[in-house]
Amino acid sequence: MKKAIYALSVFGVLSFTACQKYLDVEPRASISDKQTIYDKASAQTALTGVYAALANGGYYGTTFQSIGYLNGDNVQWTGSQSQVQEFINHNVSADNSTISGAWSAIYLAISRANHVIAKVPAVTDPLLSQAVKDQIVGQAYFIRGLAYFDLARTWGSVPLITKPTESATDNSGISRSPQNEVYALALSDLEKAEPLLTETTDRYKATRKTVWALKARYYLYRGDWANAESYATRLIADNTNYKLLKPFGSFFQNDARGTQESVFEIFYSASETNGHRGQWQPQQNGGTRQWAPNDALVALLNDPLIGGTRSALIAKDNQNRWYGNLYYRSPATDPSYVIRIAELYLIRAEARANQASAAATPADDKLGGAIADLNAVRDRSGLAGTPAVTKADVLLAIENERRVEFAFEPHRWFDLVRTGRASAVLNITDVRKYLMPIPNDQLLIDPALRPNNPGY
Amino acid sequence: MQKYNQLKRIRVFTWILGLIIIFPFIAGAQQPIVNSTLHGQVIDQVSRKGIAGASVSIVGTTHSIQTDKDGRFNFVTGQKLPYTLTITYIGYETRQVTAKDETIEIELKESANQLNDVVVVAYGSQERRNVIGSVTKTSLEDVKSIPGGSFESQLQGKVAGVQITNNTGVPGETVNIRLRGANSINGNNNPLYVIDGVFISNSSLQTFDTGGKSTSPIADINPNDIESISVLKDAEATVLYGVRGANGVVIITTKRGKFGQKPKLDFNLSNGFAKAIKLWELATGPQHAELINENYINTGGTFATRPFRPVSEGGRGLPEEQQTYDRLSQVFRTAGLQNYDISVTGGNSGTKYYISAGYNKQESILAPISFDRASFKANFDQKLTNKITVGISNTLGRTYRNEGRAGDGPAGGLLQAALHTPTYLSPYNEQGVLVGRAGFDNVELLLKNYDINSTSLRYIGNLYGEAEILPGLRFRSSFGLDYTNYPESEYWNTFLISGSPNGLATSSIGQRTSLLNEQTLSYTFKVNTKHTFGILVGNTLQSDVNNTTSTRGTGFANNSYKLISSAAVTTGSQRWSRRNLAAFFTKLDYNFDGKYLLDFSLRSDGSSAFGKDKQWGYFPGVGAAWQLKEENFLRNVDFITDLKIRTSYGITGSQNGADDFSSLGLWSGGSSYQGSPGTAPQQIANPNLGWEQTTQFNTGFDLAVLKGRLSFTFDYYRKYTSDGIISSPLAATTGFNSYTKNEIEISNRGYELSINSTNIKGRDFTWSTSFNISGNKNKIEKLSAPVKFGSRDLIWNIQGSSLYSFYLYKELYVDPQTGNVVYDDYNKDGKITAADRQIYGSVWPKFFGGMGNNFAYKGIDLGVFFSFSYGNKVYNHNRFFGEAGGARDANRIIFASNVDRWQKPGDITNTPRPDGINNNNYKDDGSRWLEDGSFLRLRALTLGYTLPKSLTERIKLDRVRLSVIASNLFLITNYTGLDPESSASSSQNAQGIDLGTPPQPRSFQFGINVSL
Repeated sequence: MKKAIYALSVFGVLSFTACQKYLDVEPRASISDKQTIYDKASAQTALTGVYAALANGGYYGTTFQSIGYLNGDNVQWTGSQSQVQEFINHNVSADNSTISGAWSAIYLAISRANHVIAKVPAVTDPLLSQAVKDQIVGQAYFIRGLAYFDLARTWGSVPLITKPTESATDNSGISRSPQNEVYALALSDLEKAEPLLTETTDRYKATRKTVWALKARYYLYRGDWANAESYATRLIADNTNYKLLKPFGSFFQNDARGTQESVFEIFYSASETNGHRGQWQPQQNGGTRQWAPNDALVALLNDPLIGGTRSALIAKDNQNRWYGNLYYRSPATDPSYVIRIAELYLIRAEARANQASAAATPADDKLGGAIADLNAVRDRSGLAGTPAVTKADVLLAIENERRVEFAFEPHRWFDLVRTGRASAVLNITDVRKYLMPIPNDQLLIDPALRPNNPGY
Repeated sequence: MQKYNQLKRIRVFTWILGLIIIFPFIAGAQQPIVNSTLHGQVIDQVSRKGIAGASVSIVGTTHSIQTDKDGRFNFVTGQKLPYTLTITYIGYETRQVTAKDETIEIELKESANQLNDVVVVAYGSQERRNVIGSVTKTSLEDVKSIPGGSFESQLQGKVAGVQITNNTGVPGETVNIRLRGANSINGNNNPLYVIDGVFISNSSLQTFDTGGKSTSPIADINPNDIESISVLKDAEATVLYGVRGANGVVIITTKRGKFGQKPKLDFNLSNGFAKAIKLWELATGPQHAELINENYINTGGTFATRPFRPVSEGGRGLPEEQQTYDRLSQVFRTAGLQNYDISVTGGNSGTKYYISAGYNKQESILAPISFDRASFKANFDQKLTNKITVGISNTLGRTYRNEGRAGDGPAGGLLQAALHTPTYLSPYNEQGVLVGRAGFDNVELLLKNYDINSTSLRYIGNLYGEAEILPGLRFRSSFGLDYTNYPESEYWNTFLISGSPNGLATSSIGQRTSLLNEQTLSYTFKVNTKHTFGILVGNTLQSDVNNTTSTRGTGFANNSYKLISSAAVTTGSQRWSRRNLAAFFTKLDYNFDGKYLLDFSLRSDGSSAFGKDKQWGYFPGVGAAWQLKEENFLRNVDFITDLKIRTSYGITGSQNGADDFSSLGLWSGGSSYQGSPGTAPQQIANPNLGWEQTTQFNTGFDLAVLKGRLSFTFDYYRKYTSDGIISSPLAATTGFNSYTKNEIEISNRGYELSINSTNIKGRDFTWSTSFNISGNKNKIEKLSAPVKFGSRDLIWNIQGSSLYSFYLYKELYVDPQTGNVVYDDYNKDGKITAADRQIYGSVWPKFFGGMGNNFAYKGIDLGVFFSFSYGNKVYNHNRFFGEAGGARDANRIIFASNVDRWQKPGDITNTPRPDGINNNNYKDDGSRWLEDGSFLRLRALTLGYTLPKSLTERIKLDRVRLSVIASNLFLITNYTGLDPESSASSSQNAQGIDLGTPPQPRSFQFGINVSL
């Protein structure tokens, strides 16, 4: 008996120490966050992770983009989730799940970019040359700049996060900076990216040219017409790499991708799919047709004097209903378009027109140039030149051109907001609605974000 | 690998240790000397029939045998006559008699109460009289024919304190089971299940979306193999399960043979059918069209351009020209039910066994879903010597399911297609081709082309060895395995939305392996006959591994190619995780003269899921009971048969809220772009993640009066959970949505009352009633930010209210003048904004329970079993869609209930004027669709007839019983949907959202039960 008790107690002690090791179980699909970016390969995979965040369904994968086009006047809602209808009604609530999804997805991209920006420069790996480091960090800066630009134009005033999150207490409780400062950070990131990146052409990743294109858009939004024109010109002038393809459909139809039309598009593949098609395509094609072109847009696109070959954007299903056909591939490998050369033409057109005096005629350098740029885009869709001759008419023509040219791309809402025309065109009586609400759940989690934007 | 070896070493060591301890006793076993032979029979005092399986032992020895089927036994022993025998049998009073001669007849008296009943408790069993904790023993006898698929589902209303909600009428699907409320937001709140000593998993391995339901792993087990179920509720009873005890423990004991029992063969057959009690009432085509027109005009459209105007004017035709197409009757059917069980029980002096096979096939009333289970069971126990027993339990089952998507999600949803498609829309398009409408599949195409199935192959086994080292000192070691292999496959061809345009196939194989090793050493001894002491020590090692591999293919040449190998594009993924658990436990108990009972337990658990410094948790518990009936002042009070008061206090835990690797800071791969591998932060570390602890106080009494014919058990409890594990939301600016931490505090308090009564006990006629009722109040005491549940954010968890509360805009009434809904302006700011949402009831009932009445007259028996629930709320999400006042146009159904809407000033109605979607009157999250889910249900009615013995003996059968079982014969409820228990959510915690869920059917079955 004594032996038994002795044996048992030995057993107890032995098994207790063994248990400590027994309780160390490591995952197989993940690694510890202690050692993350430490050599060339890990620096590159971390950057790929930043692109993946940009491509995420919450960001350019669908949700963020949908804010840009649902909020406009081209799309109707045919599904059941009413957060979509809130955009169409221009009465978005702070509870809207699209809003909170996009907000989180953008900060996710920023957070990943912060890791790259903070850690890659410190990596010591003989295989990781300064030139490669610059490429990696430059791209991270570009993506972060794009992210802050998107935050600024959608929400206005948001918190600025520039350091990676290393513990649960980091990067929360930071109050919101005014819209100006958010835009300033976006510009500063683009300025940092510009010298780090090389002047090459890559339609799926950021290069110095991609930075220029985004800067052109940035200056357009900020009303710096000269800079907008100048940066747009840099791309337009590069006509071996970038040109308006004819007919309109050639940049997306027949599984086209990475065409000369494209300045920056997000790459998707059978294993990294783009959720867009699911919302647009009808059931017969395996989609849900949650949203569809509204009657007004269908009329515009089918009008040979307005839509021209852009009627390729829509098609009819087996129940005689129209659906948007920009995202159609199966599997869902459609690119998400971020910047097309057509946009740079229209940016330059608008920037030039705005530099003309109110009384200018088409003979004026700037207004004439604006008309030429606008007509370049119209011509590509098989349309005659614009009849607009005055500055005001040209600006309106550009606005209308953008509506059909980017019918299913996220421009219409931001265009009308930045020009202050949203209230006139969309009948929005409360201009405070030009900015989206900070997601309600974020306000609850992080009191530093309060109060919400005025009007919510 | 090193860890594997470590574990293996512990195991090997344990076995060797066991053998060392046991060996001397094996070696010491000698050839017995025969000094006397006793022939006896144990009979029932009243019926004078033999009692099979009674255990007869000689006092002062360990020699024990069991009576055969006629109650006879033969004692061949080294003892010389006379000697004293102790005879025990469940349900009878234990008796001691002195055997003087070689033959003896012993009468046993049926125990007046259940005090001698043996109750399975944690790591052992106890006589009911010695139980301190709150433990309820139950059997499935009168409910096991209810077509639910799993015994969980059948237990509804049987046990006080156990709330069971059958989320869908589909057999074999997950039910919601809550024992004394719920303690966790994150983790599942299901109790711990122990079958034959194996901790079995009860979370579904399903990976496919079947529209808000999931398969139940508990349904892998054949209810017919279950002997009894012990439900352990308070801390005293559950503390030996430590970190897994906080949600209560359900111990399932399967059937085993008896030593010395002649083989007994049982055969059960039942066949029947099930049908929905009612279906939804839908607006006709013309009514639907009229509402669309009305909404159109109310929202600013002109009469001239209303959608339903003559075709000649470019419209869809006048409302009265619309057809009505019935889709519901295409998917609902009269479902077939079949069940066959065969079992053999028996044993000789050293061996006992139970072997069985069962086959159960149930169609769901919702075509084409069905459930098909084949199961085998083999339990063996072998005495190696008088002191050493080894045994094995084996459960093997194959559950095949034809699956279907019921409620949520557009593609492939049966009730989306059949219920949510407007009735006026033809299933054919203008070209005469079958088309899906309103974004849903075409019902006919769906039924013809549905192809989703899953198979659950499960083995649950336990091998044990038990040795009595000294009288009262027992050592037991066991090895358990719970293994599930769960292949699923689905194929969507091009006729279906999911398969458009080129077909889609998915195949997934999930595997779960749980390995278990436990040792216990127990010692019971008496001092001075009045003081009984017990000591138990033990340890547990458990390792759970989950892995899933899945593949997906799209782009099939045509609909004849169905395997992923023929797809143009294939993708795959894999998951793996493991959790290890180690534990040591001890229990000390003391019993003074049967009057004062006291025990203390302690368990120490270590889990790999927690932060390095927080892996070990300690769970103590104490219990005390006072058997007042044994005191002098009550001993002679005849009216009272039994009175015991009990109380307990202790801490148990839960680790369900933490994922296997929740405490670690991780980066993961998978964030690829352009085909290049990418890495990204996955979760932020929480090295302080530790146990969720629930402190529970319980007090209660057991009272039996009138010679035990009327008995009461009452318990009151308070539970307080602290350090509750939650996926705590992080500001999105951190780049994370949440991290897992100990934060929340939740309290539950409630009562349970069970009453058992033998109302009439005559020679030919008996009538007994059992009744139980429980109430629980649940409150979130601490939670920093609200946590939402389920789709559309209807259910919120907010500090100060109950878990799973509905958070809605409260609708007051429809203004008879304007037809508009008037909302409660909660914050009194003059407008209705998100800030006006408020807690408006919860999924918790105020009380719930069950009542059974059993009648027996000669060979006829009748059982009537009711269950009830009062005060729980259900969000009728079907109405939310079906009463959109025409605003959803051709995209959703309109219910008949929407037709009675406000049309002109003065109309008094609850259904407002159609004014568009998510405008004032048809706002999301309005309280109008929140309904009272109280119900009283006739769960089961069983009428049986046992053929007279004289007849059955003539045909050489032991027993023949014919029966009719009806379930769900009626349902009394104010709920306007089909079934107030319906809930469309595959989350184990969300409840109370009824969306496209098939109701529990009414069923009738005819059964025959033969024993020989």
